[in-house]
Amino acid sequence: MTDGRTVLVIEDEHAMRRLLRASLEAHGFVVVDAATMAEGRRAATSAAPDLVILDLGLPDGDGLDLVRALREWTRVPIIVVSARDREADKIKALDAGADDYVTKPFGTGELLARMRVALRHAAATSATAAVVLEVGPLRLDHDRHEVTVDGAAVKLTPIEFRLLAYLMQHAGKVLTHRQLLREIWGAGAVEHTHYLRVHMAALRRKIERDAGRPHWLLTEPGVGYRLRDQDDGQA
Amino acid sequence: MVGAVEPLHLPPRAWGWASAVAAVGVVTAIGLAAYPHLGLADLAMLYLPAVMIAALAGRGPALLASSLAVAAFDLCFVPPRFTFVVNDVRHTVTFAVMFAAGLTIATLAERLRGQAALARQADLRARSEELRSALLSSVSHDLRTPLAVITAAATSAADPAVPVAARAELLESVVAEARRLERMLANLLQLTRVETGIVPHREWIPLEELVGGALTRLESWLGDRPVEVAVGELAVPVDPVLFELVLINLIENAFKHGAPPVTIAARRVDGPPATIEIEILDRGPGVPAGAEDRVFDKFFRAGSAPGAGLGLAVVRALVTAHGGRVSAHQRPGGGARFVLELPVVDAPPYPADAPPYPADAPAPSAGSAAPGERRP
Repeated sequence: MTDGRTVLVIEDEHAMRRLLRASLEAHGFVVVDAATMAEGRRAATSAAPDLVILDLGLPDGDGLDLVRALREWTRVPIIVVSARDREADKIKALDAGADDYVTKPFGTGELLARMRVALRHAAATSATAAVVLEVGPLRLDHDRHEVTVDGAAVKLTPIEFRLLAYLMQHAGKVLTHRQLLREIWGAGAVEHTHYLRVHMAALRRKIERDAGRPHWLLTEPGVGYRLRDQDDGQA
Repeated sequence: MVGAVEPLHLPPRAWGWASAVAAVGVVTAIGLAAYPHLGLADLAMLYLPAVMIAALAGRGPALLASSLAVAAFDLCFVPPRFTFVVNDVRHTVTFAVMFAAGLTIATLAERLRGQAALARQADLRARSEELRSALLSSVSHDLRTPLAVITAAATSAADPAVPVAARAELLESVVAEARRLERMLANLLQLTRVETGIVPHREWIPLEELVGGALTRLESWLGDRPVEVAVGELAVPVDPVLFELVLINLIENAFKHGAPPVTIAARRVDGPPATIEIEILDRGPGVPAGAEDRVFDKFFRAGSAPGAGLGLAVVRALVTAHGGRVSAHQRPGGGARFVLELPVVDAPPYPADAPPYPADAPAPSAGSAAPGERRP
């Protein structure tokens, strides 16, 4: 599915650009790169990329502005690259329309997994949402309002059901607290993170084998949650 | 110094001025008692120690003492006594000399104090310099070890003579050492940030979620090694990002220096003051006897254990920033027991020990919401 897809890499470090080019080309991507925001902005129009990898720490401006600028005219998936302790930046980028993030330093396996998820979701938005969602041992049937884990039926409250459905729809993708709260409780509840935490804890108890060491419903500390993608081979 | 008696709650500066008055008063009293036996010059000399005492409190009090000394000397001893009238012009010279001496003492004392403060600062700087160089030497040593492995393994892997199977193994060690390097740098960074005074951004978070996050982060490092999590439905008021690092470091420590089974347990202690107590337990050799406090010191290492000796120092710094405490103990039956005590400052948004899992109340369209939620 990656054959001939164009990836725009906006990254100021030469070594990192070289490495990304090598490993992405090895996986069949066509790589266009840019070292500054201005170059990146131009390349985003001229190269018509299928996906953008954007380092938030660019020398000539705030990467966040580029996310906003791109979102004014394109739905191209954007994966931002950021340092570990910059949770606030990650949240802002995601809420501004970025699709996902990887934390520096990252493994290329992790980056490729995020890229696959982003490309898959970008392709799926135009298609009709599935009635039955399946991720790993989880199966959710919208019509029958039914959830099973490894074939065993699990009883969820309506909120838990909607949370799980939304997470499964976006399997593999990070969802910020704000995004989840807006989707499930509405725009008035975006600050009430504790609602979310409490329901997530309950959901974990129902779908995880060991809620204390979750395998599917992962926490992205300070940012949000992610349902592990089934073909995400990365630990 | 002069009479720092408790019941009088004067500010420290006021004591300086009071000491000036008191010192001159005492000297005058002594002078009055000894008047029949002493000459005027001797009496004038008596006032110098009074000025010196006042000078300890600062330049202002010293000047006040000098003025008071001149006035008291004139009033009590210079004929005609008990008036400010001066018959002999010579005495005005005595006054001038007395005042000048007082002024000189005050100035010298002030300069001395300035030098003492500078010396203290220099000492402080020297000590922080010492700490910095200790940090630098420890860090550069500990950074160099993984770097050496990475360099050696990567150059070997690039060598065409190395068989493909061996290459994969070499690259695996590159990855493992790079991860180790990264964790070390994360700790170092946090330590520096805590020492410059970061304020944790606290939220009430289910402890299970925090422990789960830490375990996910350690997933590849932990492998199949089991961790027993028994924290129930307790919520804790912490900064999610900082506290995750606390848990990661404690879990890592339990496996590095202890032995499985590793257990994480928690309970609420009603106090007062109310606290939440989190325990990390293992069945290893335990904390070295007598080192229960020192294990949290920067660069402390148990024996020849690997690592920079930063993990537990970061734990203590971050827990302290949360207003809590961390302590290490011998575990009855063998092993180590690390205890985190976190203060419960405000009420959680739901009962800490039993979140009610609100019955979908805040939902705008609760009920059979899900089927209608599908997107076109």
